Amino acid sequence: MVELSIGIAGLRTAVITRDPDVATVVRDRYEGFLSTGPADWRIEISPPSGGVPFSKDVVVRRDGGPARFSVRRHDFAGTVDVSERTADLTLTSPDDVSINSFLRILYSLALVETRGLVVHAASLVRDGAAYLFCGPSGSGKTTVARLSTDATLLSDELSIVRIAEGYAMCFGTPFRGELALAGEDRAAPLIGIYFLHHGGRHAVEALGPKEALARLLPNVLFFAREADVTAAVFRIAADLVEAVPCFDLSFRPDPGFWEVIRNA
Amino acid sequence: MPEAYLTQSPRTAWRVYDGEAAVLCPDDSTLNSLNAVGTLIWESADGKTAVSAIVARICEEFDVDPERAERDTMAFIAKLRERGLLTVSETLQQAP
Repeated sequence: MVELSIGIAGLRTAVITRDPDVATVVRDRYEGFLSTGPADWRIEISPPSGGVPFSKDVVVRRDGGPARFSVRRHDFAGTVDVSERTADLTLTSPDDVSINSFLRILYSLALVETRGLVVHAASLVRDGAAYLFCGPSGSGKTTVARLSTDATLLSDELSIVRIAEGYAMCFGTPFRGELALAGEDRAAPLIGIYFLHHGGRHAVEALGPKEALARLLPNVLFFAREADVTAAVFRIAADLVEAVPCFDLSFRPDPGFWEVIRNA
Repeated sequence: MPEAYLTQSPRTAWRVYDGEAAVLCPDDSTLNSLNAVGTLIWESADGKTAVSAIVARICEEFDVDPERAERDTMAFIAKLRERGLLTVSETLQQAP
């Protein structure tokens, strides 16, 4: 039995497996996020089951208790128990994409109780402050990250934000996008949320919290459909757009957008 | 016409910003953005406030004639009901 510990956004997860291939995948994939110390969460990953597909799409639904969720996709099946802080996962093959997808879902559920969200966004740290660049595929998340050579990358694809006492912190994640680089395992105070789109010039426009909320929610990674957990995610997002200034950011592919952000 | 009372679905989540509500329907994660009049109706959907009282308040606060206020309110209620955001009852509702 191998036990590895991954720490993301202040939540440390012990990954336990008998499968040496799975252990290798976890060790390689989460290299910058391996940690030591007592785990908050525990995931047992079972050996591959022989390639039987579980479900065509991602399905996350309550299963056998208010805090227990079944999580299924074509390449994995598992359960997440939020109150016990345990999960189990069976894979069709020891694939890093499968493990990574399950971890994203696990963190999206686990973070709710700590008032955190997984957001489709690039995040970067500049001068000690974090900036979040939200948007769907093709909006420019990876481009913004690539153009920001003097910033620290937290993620170019999926960022984690946690809110407490009216201020927000943004955390580095190993959930990488087209840049194929994991973020750094660090956190910084979040000082701006930018809803990205390509344009002919750099332009920043302030958004009110209602519009910002409407633009943030579709970018929040969350699969469960139960009303109480959806409402909890809504409240975290609503608090976030009240606590952090939000903007529409139109940009063209050069680093000049930072100047516009600084002057906004 | 019998009196009617509106009750927000307990499955919704909502927040008011600058007098305008954003209401989330958890079934499909749609965010419904309400204007000031819609927000007044939504906030009055407590199971105890009669629709006639809501219409009277709209007339008073937004300077609308009663006929139009009633027509628009009923249309708005029908929309929210269709989306599963509230229920309409002919009797007073108890607090959950």
